[in-house]
Amino acid sequence: MKKILQIALGILTSIGGFLDVGAIATSAEAGSMFGFHLLWALILGTICVIFLVEMAGRIAAVSKHTLMDAVREHFGFRFQFILLCAEIGIDFLVLASEIGGICIALQLVTGVDFQWWALPVAFCIWLLIWKGTFGLIENGVAFLGLVSLVFVIATFKLHPSLTKLGAGLLPTLPQQDTAHYLFIAVSILGAVISPYLFYFYSSGGREDKWDEGYIGVNRGVAAVGMSFGSVVSLCVLIVAALVLQPKGIQVDSYQQAALMLTQPLGYWGFLLFAATLGIACLGAALEICLDTAYIVSQVFGWNWGASVRPKEAARFSLVYTVFVFLASLLMVIGLDPLKLTLFSMALTAVILPLEIFPFLILMNDERYVGKYRNGWISNSVVIFTIALAFVLAIFSIPLELIAGG
Amino acid sequence: MDVIRDVLDHQLVDRNQKKMGRVDGIVVELRDGQPPRLTYIEVGMPALARRLHPRFEHWIAALQSKWGARRGETFRIPWSQVSDFGIGGVDVVVDLEAEATPALAWEKWLREQIISRIPGASS
Repeated sequence: MKKILQIALGILTSIGGFLDVGAIATSAEAGSMFGFHLLWALILGTICVIFLVEMAGRIAAVSKHTLMDAVREHFGFRFQFILLCAEIGIDFLVLASEIGGICIALQLVTGVDFQWWALPVAFCIWLLIWKGTFGLIENGVAFLGLVSLVFVIATFKLHPSLTKLGAGLLPTLPQQDTAHYLFIAVSILGAVISPYLFYFYSSGGREDKWDEGYIGVNRGVAAVGMSFGSVVSLCVLIVAALVLQPKGIQVDSYQQAALMLTQPLGYWGFLLFAATLGIACLGAALEICLDTAYIVSQVFGWNWGASVRPKEAARFSLVYTVFVFLASLLMVIGLDPLKLTLFSMALTAVILPLEIFPFLILMNDERYVGKYRNGWISNSVVIFTIALAFVLAIFSIPLELIAGG
Repeated sequence: MDVIRDVLDHQLVDRNQKKMGRVDGIVVELRDGQPPRLTYIEVGMPALARRLHPRFEHWIAALQSKWGARRGETFRIPWSQVSDFGIGGVDVVVDLEAEATPALAWEKWLREQIISRIPGASS
């Protein structure tokens, strides 16, 4: 019974973990510009992330190590230093994007410009981590995150054609805007396969003191939770394709994206879009802040934990405190949140091989995972997807920058 | 035991399982006519910086001794105080009280000077 409850909670949490500013922005952009043609990228990313999240939980449960612990032990400090810098850099940009998402949600509801919200929002994020426990943060955000199901309801009300949906599952190149199409495909893959998710998830496994008895729970949570999260993202894409594309509205700001729910749901749709954006971004922002503090502390061997009192983990607490306020400054100076989001997601795809390669080696090492080593299917799926994302990113990011992104 | 595989870079904990850093370096004494002997394990940023580039060690040490906790030197723990080490991924345990060692000097400084002055730090 306890296990069933844990699976249920874990699934809720994963929906929250999956859906963030990147998933919403890339899905909305993809749907509004290319209809159903990019559904395949979302599905491919989801399959890959299910395998990776399951691995992150498995290594925590079997080896009693977080992913970062194991990387330092196995690959040494020099390699890890590069990995740490890359991950902190990406976390910084993505956290700024998530804070931007919350600020935009507040702007949509109040009309006050998003820049003014950045510092108050950063303060609230900080306060939740400072005072909250791991369970409170995870479960609270997870339950609030159920508001995102509004996109599923909207999809049903719009009656999408199943044959057209099916056609979108096969990758095709469009006649025009090929460079931007590939850029958005890369951004989708980067948004779905977020590296912070794996470090965060394996640290969470240690926070909850998982052991080998949790292998099954972990598998269920990864598969069902990530799939549910993905369904919501799919629905964002479908709604954007059905509502925005026929009107020729291309999402180049969040204000335009907010219109996608007004056709099926009226003014409530507008408010629910803002609520979903705000809550999904808040959940992700909390996770990224914690993730950065987790990985820095684990690299240097400091005491860490979201449920530990700040006094007992001073360096850990200092990291997230400084990090959240620094990231919010990118919004204070008025960077465009949507452009920053799409760019950060594409950049994520570039550094994915660096993050995933050591991960796969550890998952095949008996000293860490014993008899629970990866099978050939999970290895192949992950290698294929990461290689594809990397190659697409290398080609499409320069093209996108030349085109003036 | 494989020193590089089973000790270097592993989590270091004191006798009460309190985290006190990682094994950032290992000091080996070379002796004439005798086999080399393990003498110390090192903990601290300067030791880590040295592994990136020898010059960084001095920069970090200088920086750390001027600011904050004013503790720049690398903390060395004699090998004889290592009571357990990590084949199969177990932490390296030393027979010390972490709070009483320089390994937590910065943690203590930050706790006293910054973190505990922010409301809500101890609840």
